[in-house]
Amino acid sequence: MKDFLLKKDKIKNLLISASEEWDTFVPWKDLGEDLQFVKLPGAGKEDFLNKLSLEYGSPLIPPKTIAFPQLELLFEFEEGKIKEKVPPPTKKLLFGLRACDVKAILFVDDFFRRNFEDIYYLNRTMDKLLVLVGCKTPPRDCFCTSTKTGPFLPVPRSLGEVRKEGFDLQLVDIGDSYLVEIGSEKGKEFIESYKSFFEVASKKEVELSKDAKKRAEEAITLKVDFEKAVKNFCEDKVSRKVYEKIAERCIYCGGCLYVCPTCTCFNVFDGKKGKRGERSRNWDACVFEGYTREASGHNPRPEKWQRTSRRYEHKLKYDYLTTGMSGCVGCGRCLATCPVNIGISQVIEEVAKNEKRISSLSGKD
Amino acid sequence: MKNEYLPYPARIKSIQRESFDTRTFKVVFVDEKLAKSFNYKPGQFMEISLLGIGESPISITSSPSGKGYLEFTIRTMGKLTRAINQLNAGAILYLRGPYGNSFPLEEARTKNLYFIAGGIGLPPLRSVINSAFDHRVNFGKVKILYGAKSPDELCFKEELKVWQNLTNTELLLTVDVPDKDWKGNVGVVTTLWDKTDMDGNRGIAYVCGPPIMIKFVVQKLLKSQFKERNIYISLERYMKCGLGKCGHCNIGGKFVCTDGPVFTYQQIKQFPDKERAI
Ligand SMILES: Cc1cc2nc3c(=O)[nH]c(=O)nc-3n(C[C@H](O)[C@H](O)[C@H](O)COP(=O)(O)OP(=O)(O)OC[C@H]3O[C@@H](n4cnc5c(N)ncnc54)[C@H](O)[C@@H]3O)c2cc1C
Ligand code: SF4
Ligand code: FES
Repeated sequence: MKDFLLKKDKIKNLLISASEEWDTFVPWKDLGEDLQFVKLPGAGKEDFLNKLSLEYGSPLIPPKTIAFPQLELLFEFEEGKIKEKVPPPTKKLLFGLRACDVKAILFVDDFFRRNFEDIYYLNRTMDKLLVLVGCKTPPRDCFCTSTKTGPFLPVPRSLGEVRKEGFDLQLVDIGDSYLVEIGSEKGKEFIESYKSFFEVASKKEVELSKDAKKRAEEAITLKVDFEKAVKNFCEDKVSRKVYEKIAERCIYCGGCLYVCPTCTCFNVFDGKKGKRGERSRNWDACVFEGYTREASGHNPRPEKWQRTSRRYEHKLKYDYLTTGMSGCVGCGRCLATCPVNIGISQVIEEVAKNEKRISSLSGKD
Repeated sequence: MKNEYLPYPARIKSIQRESFDTRTFKVVFVDEKLAKSFNYKPGQFMEISLLGIGESPISITSSPSGKGYLEFTIRTMGKLTRAINQLNAGAILYLRGPYGNSFPLEEARTKNLYFIAGGIGLPPLRSVINSAFDHRVNFGKVKILYGAKSPDELCFKEELKVWQNLTNTELLLTVDVPDKDWKGNVGVVTTLWDKTDMDGNRGIAYVCGPPIMIKFVVQKLLKSQFKERNIYISLERYMKCGLGKCGHCNIGGKFVCTDGPVFTYQQIKQFPDKERAI
């Protein structure tokens, strides 16, 4: 399949053009260093795009917020009458996603489609184009080469309707332009629709992209034996001691789960003022004590180690057993955000060793 | 795509007091078409809410043969259940569902049925008990073992009398704390084992109640030769959506709301101990 070239100085105009047709989301740096996926505004696009940042590490807040916001209105009511508040389905262009996040998005899409379809999530995300921009200098907490979810995804051999590897387009930084690889029919159509921004890539540029991919891969130094760990989890070889050790240190703030790109747990609650009110949902996390506590006071997971076990086994055992894909994409956000320096990578490392003692989590660092 | 989070208004037609903290509500969907077409299976639950107060899973206690209406027995536990128990006939409840799997009866044809309930565990069983009575000829003996904290806390007092007088049916009651008029058994549900013959060889058991009760009942059932796959247990877990999405009800890789709430003991045994299914 032909590869294309997108000159860096054309990106701004491409995004401005595309935003006529698509709700366009890009990694965007506001004040400070924090980066988030933000939608291009209706006016002032030029100025807005001055803060576009494609050379970021990885945004701490995952792009899952686009389809699964931290707080979401389900419906409003007034005097007993319900007003549905389902977001209208819109076409979304997610430009500048990292490989791990592309994998995570597809994983979460699949979850919200399983059994009951979640109209709030699916309306926000059904029709979308995923443009991956591979990491050039991966952050130190990432371990996506171990989870096989990055820094680039393999290019599918044929373009099916169903995304095979995940991305529609994959961009590789080769200096003053990006090499563009096509991952789906939809991605191909996008290039055709915005022809003037792309050119056909030469052999030399394809070679350059191979080098760039290799360099990015080599830059990821954090390695864990992911397969072994998942196997140990699935075979119940993880002792309670492992969880108790983590429990000694974890403060159960839930931060790691809020920033996790595949976490989907939520709570539902009502608010009311006079005769008007609303029902909403917001993110929740399985490490909280109240997460399973019933009205009677009975709590099946009263102890910290049980909740820690849940937290890791959900991702590394049950997700794998039910979907064939683990819920960890190696993005490293949990480690980056944790106030007491616990990351799933360390847990994986220890479980892969299958030792009773868990040194890197013992808190003496 | 249907909006599964949207509840439908239903009017309370009548209210029956069960005990100091528990009442049974007969409700009918305001939308007549919905009221007519609505179907469910015994053991399923609905998400019931009052707008502005909250939403909770509540078992359907009526049996599917009673067309056009639904019954729920609700015990005051917290914010929402207290508010519902203060309502009068004519008030509106908001419902969505039905959710979850059900107590299977097809497999129980020609077998003896054993229903074992503790406290607020009887309401979900009542649905399957009455379904069995609707097709009485299909089954052998029926035994209902039911325990409550006190005589006042026994639900469906009038209906219990009806069940007691049905042929080939045995009803055994017990309370933890008797009052001066109580002449029956005193003690937890498992003490009823001494009062009757529990034979698991041709028996199917349906169990619902607090986790501690379930644990002891299962031990007894296994001793009485009930097969693990013939013991059906309805589990309770904190639930927020009923759709397999919010995560709260998960045990191992399963969601109690969509994979359950009814599981066989054979299935429950395979849940990791630390998840404390029962
Ligand atoms: C499948 C199922 C069937 C049930 N059937 C019945 C029934 O027939 N009759 C009955 O009286 N009770 C039943 N319950 C228990 C009932 O759902 C709780 O007592 C109720 O949620 C308490 O809500 P509350 O607002 O009064 O209490 P609060 O303590 O104020 O609860 C706040 C919120 O927590 C959640 N919550 C708390 N406890 C539970 C719980 N045990 N299960 C699920 N969510 C909970 C609810 O969303 C509730 O809105 C059932 C529970 C389950 C899981
Ligand atoms: S961020 Fe760290 S302290 Fe907070 S819940 Fe996660 S592991 Fe525990
Ligand atoms: S109640 Fe939400 S997942 Fe089961």
